Amino acid sequence: MMRRALGWVVSSVLLLPFPVLILLSLARRWPWPAVFPRDLQTQQWQVLLTDSSSLGAIILRSLGMGIGVAVTATALGFACSRSLARHRHRDRLTVFLYLPFAVSPVVLGVSLLYTFLRLHLAGHFLGVMLAQMIIAYAYAVLLLSAFWNQRIEALVELASSLGATPWQLWRRALVPMARPLLAVCLFQTFLISWFDYALALVIGSAQVSTVTTALYQYFSSGDLRLAATCSLLLILPPLLGLALNRRLLSATIATRLEDIDG
Amino acid sequence: MIRRPVSDPWIWVLLLLTAGPLLGGLVFMLLYSIGLVGLLTDGFTLRYWSYVVTDGQTWRSLLYSLFIGSASMGASLALALALQAALRDQLRRGALGSLLFLPLAVPPLTAAVLSVEIIGNGGLLSRLARAAGWISAPADFPTVLFTPSGIGIVITHMTLVTPFLLLFLIRIAANERLGELARVAETLGASPWQSWRRVSLPILLRSSAPALTVYSLALAGAFEVPLLIGAQSPAMISVFIQRRFGQFDLRTRPEAYALATLYAGLAIGVLMALSAWRARRAPCERRL
Repeated sequence: MMRRALGWVVSSVLLLPFPVLILLSLARRWPWPAVFPRDLQTQQWQVLLTDSSSLGAIILRSLGMGIGVAVTATALGFACSRSLARHRHRDRLTVFLYLPFAVSPVVLGVSLLYTFLRLHLAGHFLGVMLAQMIIAYAYAVLLLSAFWNQRIEALVELASSLGATPWQLWRRALVPMARPLLAVCLFQTFLISWFDYALALVIGSAQVSTVTTALYQYFSSGDLRLAATCSLLLILPPLLGLALNRRLLSATIATRLEDIDG
Repeated sequence: MIRRPVSDPWIWVLLLLTAGPLLGGLVFMLLYSIGLVGLLTDGFTLRYWSYVVTDGQTWRSLLYSLFIGSASMGASLALALALQAALRDQLRRGALGSLLFLPLAVPPLTAAVLSVEIIGNGGLLSRLARAAGWISAPADFPTVLFTPSGIGIVITHMTLVTPFLLLFLIRIAANERLGELARVAETLGASPWQSWRRVSLPILLRSSAPALTVYSLALAGAFEVPLLIGAQSPAMISVFIQRRFGQFDLRTRPEAYALATLYAGLAIGVLMALSAWRARRAPCERRL
């Protein structure tokens, strides 16, 4: 009985953020101490979706950056993960993959900024994407390294001995077999870009607007209702991804952290 | 399995995309901080380092970040272990098993906004406390945000980290067959509490220790949550560096680079020490 009650409490806490954000995004007036908003309106949504500051364009840019980072990081990560898995110094090389996570994104951005300024990449969305790629790529290699095991290598050798070219091997055998893990990798690396604020701030130098920078602006200007509305836009794609990918993500959680166990 | 030589081009890509930018950036920051490169450089000098190393704010910020990172991880781990012990199979089945994934869709910025709206002085909990008659004004509600204690940052981190750790612990428990081990212990006369404390807990902690250390480092370097709901002073190290770097006076920039180099060096040092410790402790446990 107690266990069941605790389960309900935990479930409620996990669900609580969503009604709070939805109510806040629809609140016209929500003065203290009212537990619920006094009046509701859709003005926040109208402002966000029709504002001249064109959040629509910002969302599209953020989506484009996220998709670009995800596809590139996953493709490069898949190819590199095989070389890493077969390398004699695998453990030592793996330490390099943790560097972007151990060092704060702000420090990463600060360390790259001067070079990016010289390359005219600072203040440009391509520069932000490149910086995000460093983290997303490291994550992709770590995640996809779990794919390579004795069974896969035996299949590779069998396919090669039967005359498959390297291209055929990747296209007809390896990519189809890794498809579930690649889907998870695409989703997670997309989120690295989609959730990023620090690199967009430092490398973007206030000239690259993303959904996260818009959210911060609303928050710092004191408009929590617009910040909540923007937050809902920010969590919508990941929620959709989770709905589609829950089972796969369950396996990924383990891979993501167990890899550190090396 | 075939072991490839170092000349594999994909390994060069790996080095180029991970160690390359980070170590290159680190060297650049070091050169900038000692006056060998930069817009307003007068030549080699250690005065920026001297200033940063003797500045009390630097060490306060580093220690504060270490404290917040450790407290966030410690509290999240304790809560995750307690929930796992209390809820057991319920966590893997039904709605709760799915709901645990929800916080993965919440970015730190949104978590900070939610903290303001839920645990802030004018937030939902304060309104409920007023409805229950416990307080009469927002100021009567305990202040947890924007305070030097950093308790609001820790609570916000806990909401993000605990579900993730729970999922991780569930996975470790399955991989290590903790259910079977616990049953054996109980068959041999151990109580459920003894079997959890003497069998399950040591295995969970040992298996998760390296991952949790790296995660703690990441939490110590957190930026968004302390930026939104942290105190002005002391500031967590990422916020402190960003503020120094964002100043209009370009003459302070070498100091910002010295600070960033110091922090990056410490973080990389901890990571290397962890890696060396792992290599020494259990070489036979390493994966192929």
